[in-house]
Amino acid sequence: MRRQILCLSTKVTQNSCTKALPLTRFLSSQEAIDRRYHLFTLEKKRQLDNVGRIEKIEVQYKGVPKSCTLIMNKGISTPYDCARHLSEWHVESSALALLDGSVYWDMHRPLTENCTLELQNFSVAEPQQVNKAFWRTCSFVLGACATIAFKDTVPVKLHSFPGPDIRSGSFIYDVDLPTLSDWKPTQQELITLAAEYIKLTRLNEPLERLEVGEELALEMFVENEHKTKQIPSIARHNGKVTLYKVGKHVDISKGPMISTTGQIGRLSIASVHKINGSAEGDVKQLYRFQGVALPTGVMMNHFTFSILAQRAKKLNPVKSPIPKPVEAEEKEEIAMKG
Amino acid sequence: MNQADVSKLVSKLRVKVLPRHRNLPGPKGPEGRIDKLRKTVTGLIKFERIELNYNRADEARQYAERLISEAIRHGDCHKPTMDTADFWLLEKELVHKLFKVLVPRYESTNLSYTRLYNAPRPQYGRSLDKVVLELRGNPYPDLLNNKSNNRLLIQNVLLDAAKNEYRQTKIAEMAKNIGKVGATQNTDSKINEAHEKPNIS
Repeated sequence: MRRQILCLSTKVTQNSCTKALPLTRFLSSQEAIDRRYHLFTLEKKRQLDNVGRIEKIEVQYKGVPKSCTLIMNKGISTPYDCARHLSEWHVESSALALLDGSVYWDMHRPLTENCTLELQNFSVAEPQQVNKAFWRTCSFVLGACATIAFKDTVPVKLHSFPGPDIRSGSFIYDVDLPTLSDWKPTQQELITLAAEYIKLTRLNEPLERLEVGEELALEMFVENEHKTKQIPSIARHNGKVTLYKVGKHVDISKGPMISTTGQIGRLSIASVHKINGSAEGDVKQLYRFQGVALPTGVMMNHFTFSILAQRAKKLNPVKSPIPKPVEAEEKEEIAMKG
Repeated sequence: MNQADVSKLVSKLRVKVLPRHRNLPGPKGPEGRIDKLRKTVTGLIKFERIELNYNRADEARQYAERLISEAIRHGDCHKPTMDTADFWLLEKELVHKLFKVLVPRYESTNLSYTRLYNAPRPQYGRSLDKVVLELRGNPYPDLLNNKSNNRLLIQNVLLDAAKNEYRQTKIAEMAKNIGKVGATQNTDSKINEAHEKPNIS
């Protein structure tokens, strides 16, 4: 394992990761997580080194307490650094940055050119994009939580999560648990999942963003056949795959995401539903993890929140990522004819 | 009992009035107190939002409320009211503002005419309590930053969707029940017909 990572890291640092190494043995989930994390940090370091000579850019900050101009480093400084120049309140409350009044930018993504900067928190006048980023982040962290929560004997293969739809009432992550054919979580297990989730949020980890080439992405997700199948279609446009990291967990997402996991406040992991696939498809079944969360600082009565948690228990009607079983479709057709 | 109804003589203020006035001590004594209050009331009517010490603000607020309510009760053709306005407003153009701007603004309201907010105080240091005194309906931005009514906030979006879904299920249930009731009635009527037919034949 160690030798493989070393070999890979030399390849990555030389930027010649064109040839994927055949993996000699099966990776356990913990090993796979470590490996992905290692590759991520190496690639991040390489990209930072590639910046070379440091150039300065002017960032015009608009907002409270007063508008000002900040001189930042091109390709290194992030909106988060700008917020740190302003105040602790800006650092803690800002979830998303708005560049030039139109482009939504992650808080931890380096700025590349002169721009105007507005910091957006959850209580701005038009919070649609911030809400979407929040919901997306919740799904992402749910994936991280699902990989950690199971015992070593249960392999967990993350499949994907759909785009954020807040009105559906729950954020979801579709996970493949190959060894568990018919699992229904008890209330205690759901509470355990939620506890793992809260542990992650309490760590207050930043959500780091990185764009990598297709080959490296394939290399990182070599043990997860679902992700390796998704990567070529994701990278079809520009050959790049956007990755996010929280703690040691690395996953694919289009972004943008909120600043840190500490901004996820009250939450409930509501239910896990089984989704059946068609018999001839590659994936027979998936488990859909569902939850509902609110940003930190949002006060809500426990009764009101229980209504949201109850609603999140129903199966989220978002289309399943795997083809439906054929019989069910026939039945539906008959029903429609009738 | 030939006693006059007090509430008809003096307009009832919509703010709390302490049983005893504040002295607002100074070298000029009671006269100085009245001078201070006249200045504050004039400033309040002129700028519509002022920041000052709590004692003076609360005292001046009562006089301002009384002045505006008198102006609303009696209008600008009432000699005593005009004299009161002339006394309290040091800048005479504000008399026009009182009768032409503030009276129409507050005629139909059932709230107090002014608001008093606690202003932030320095964490360390000895200072008197600062407050912000303002007229309601002033043109400045709101001081309290309460945006929880924004329908786009994530908690409101979630609650709206939950409410919507609840309504949909209720409507669906009702529709089902209506169908059932109709169906049972139909079957009843059929049965009745079936019973009736043999009788006829």
